Amino acid sequence: MTTITTENPVPGTREGLESGVLEAAANKRRKRTYLALLIPGILGLLVSFVFPLLYMVRMSFNEGAPDGVVIDTFTFQTYIKPLTDPYYWRVTLDTFRMGLTVGVLCLVVSYPIALFLVRSTSKYKGLLLAIAIAPLLTSAVVRTYGWMVILGTNGLVNTSLESMGLIGSPLKLTNNMTGVTIGLVEIFMPYAILAMISGFGRLSPQLEEAAGSLGASKFKVFMRVTLPLSLPGVFTAFLLVFVMAISTFITPRLLGGGSVQVLATEIYDQTTGLLNWPFAAALSVILLVLFGTIIAIYQRIVQKIGG
Amino acid sequence: MKKSIKGKIAAAVTVSAMALALASCSGPGNAAGGDSPTSGEVSLIAYSGVWQDQYNAAVIEPFKAKYPDIKITYSSKRSSAEMLSALQGQKGKPSTDVAIMDNSVSTSGNKQGLFEKIDAAGVPNLANVADEFQNKEGFGPVVMLDAIGLVYDTATFPTPPESWNVLWDPAYAGKINVNAPPSLLGLSLTAITSKMEGEDYTKSIDKAVARLQELAPAVQTFAPNPDEYQSIITGQTVLGLGQNARGQFYSDQSNKKMGVTFPKEGTVYQINTINLVKDAPHSAAAKTFIDYALSAEAQAAFAEKLFYAPSVTNAKLPDDVKNRVVPTDGSLNIVPLDVDFLSSARDKWTDTWKRQIIK
Repeated sequence: MTTITTENPVPGTREGLESGVLEAAANKRRKRTYLALLIPGILGLLVSFVFPLLYMVRMSFNEGAPDGVVIDTFTFQTYIKPLTDPYYWRVTLDTFRMGLTVGVLCLVVSYPIALFLVRSTSKYKGLLLAIAIAPLLTSAVVRTYGWMVILGTNGLVNTSLESMGLIGSPLKLTNNMTGVTIGLVEIFMPYAILAMISGFGRLSPQLEEAAGSLGASKFKVFMRVTLPLSLPGVFTAFLLVFVMAISTFITPRLLGGGSVQVLATEIYDQTTGLLNWPFAAALSVILLVLFGTIIAIYQRIVQKIGG
Repeated sequence: MKKSIKGKIAAAVTVSAMALALASCSGPGNAAGGDSPTSGEVSLIAYSGVWQDQYNAAVIEPFKAKYPDIKITYSSKRSSAEMLSALQGQKGKPSTDVAIMDNSVSTSGNKQGLFEKIDAAGVPNLANVADEFQNKEGFGPVVMLDAIGLVYDTATFPTPPESWNVLWDPAYAGKINVNAPPSLLGLSLTAITSKMEGEDYTKSIDKAVARLQELAPAVQTFAPNPDEYQSIITGQTVLGLGQNARGQFYSDQSNKKMGVTFPKEGTVYQINTINLVKDAPHSAAAKTFIDYALSAEAQAAFAEKLFYAPSVTNAKLPDDVKNRVVPTDGSLNIVPLDVDFLSSARDKWTDTWKRQIIK
């Protein structure tokens, strides 16, 4: 009986009050412990993310003089150029277009693989999954160089097509947006596959079988059952790839051959080539705010359509 | 008891994290125990890649053999601009002692108060630096010179092209690499083209821009990778711009698959200076290193390794090396790119290339 009272104290009684006080104290202790455990992470974030971000925002209001001289002031001058200059509008639009194209293409090529991996009952499923994400074990720089070798004028694709007599002169597959897109799609595929697999939790073979047994064609089953249930994974994967694509630097730099100007390459040029840190910081803030807004809108839309 | 263990764990984790955070904030301090002309630790910031390898072999290793108590820490950067931004970040409490960088960038560093003046009392070999390569205000002198050249595929061009105009030859369309500004190569091509078109590039580059717009569609890449030399060696391109020193080096490395030449219309110097960082933590040992870098022995050794022309008058080069480094005796047609002018033009010309030439 005592045990019952202790475990389930009756509110209003002495035992109940004591138990409530004890529980409150325990909760307080628990909260303190959680807070203490959070401190290392928060400190790490402060040092590695929040402070640099604040520094960058402050830097964007300084003035950049030639040769890396930063004039400590508070001006909106650095924002006027990118916001009023058509060149920077074009660069921003190209960045957005690149993110969108890479995101969509990545979904198209990764979706069947992710679906296959989720559905597979093979004893080698683990191995297949490992193979699908194995490219992540290699640096994106190395993979980009790999694509340069494959897509170059003397690369595998061009020499193969030439030897088959399909083309007379090499196709221009690198040093342009085509090359950058091909490289980025391949580089981000493992991320898309992983994101989709983790978002395919609602997929159920029983539902598909039920739809099939009720007379739906395979195409209809896919369009009405499989695809809608897999949308959360699709949306997450697209968002992940889009975010990585718009901020990526290495692949546009290496496969773009100086002809592909996106915000990340522009920021790099301003930071390391022209040493105009305030202007580079302003471009970074624009990238952050603009695409942060786009991502927020995207998530709202996704929530509305029940993704 | 349970509470106290939890509390202790949490406190220990917190303290460790704070210690780590503080350690990461503190940055590199004066790690070496002391600093004297014959002992200490010199932190050098200079170029990466093949430059670093050859400088290590020709200068740093022999220096370490001569001064065993001085340790050299090499911090490599891809460009002088990157070195400058690293030094700007250290201003006031530097961890770097010596910087070897492009003249145009070090001049800006001098103006920003990043470097110390040096004299022959601390660096005796400064007296051997040719007058024209001394810094008039007493800052770090020129340590080596190079110039922009035309790099070419020797199978396509059995004899070196004589004119920059070969870049516009339709026969080589799509097989040309040009590093766009802010690279010095692109800035140099702008000045050279402007001069070829008969205009004064310090006033206008309109004619050069029109001519470079004609060239742009024939350019395969405006940012060759891994670099302008490998682009030729691997057969991606057959013509391009490069530096003479590295061009000569890679010509040997590729068994003469690639060549480098100075066309008749002239070229632009690429000059490196050696600089003592202001308030350098190991100033005394750093001066010993600078002195060694300006010695005839070190200058000749590096010329033999990477074909940079010495800036000192007493360096003796073997004939086969002498013929391959950039001439500094006035025999080469030089298109002058004044440091102060370049400082104001770099931004504008880079913008012009992006908007009107590359497009």
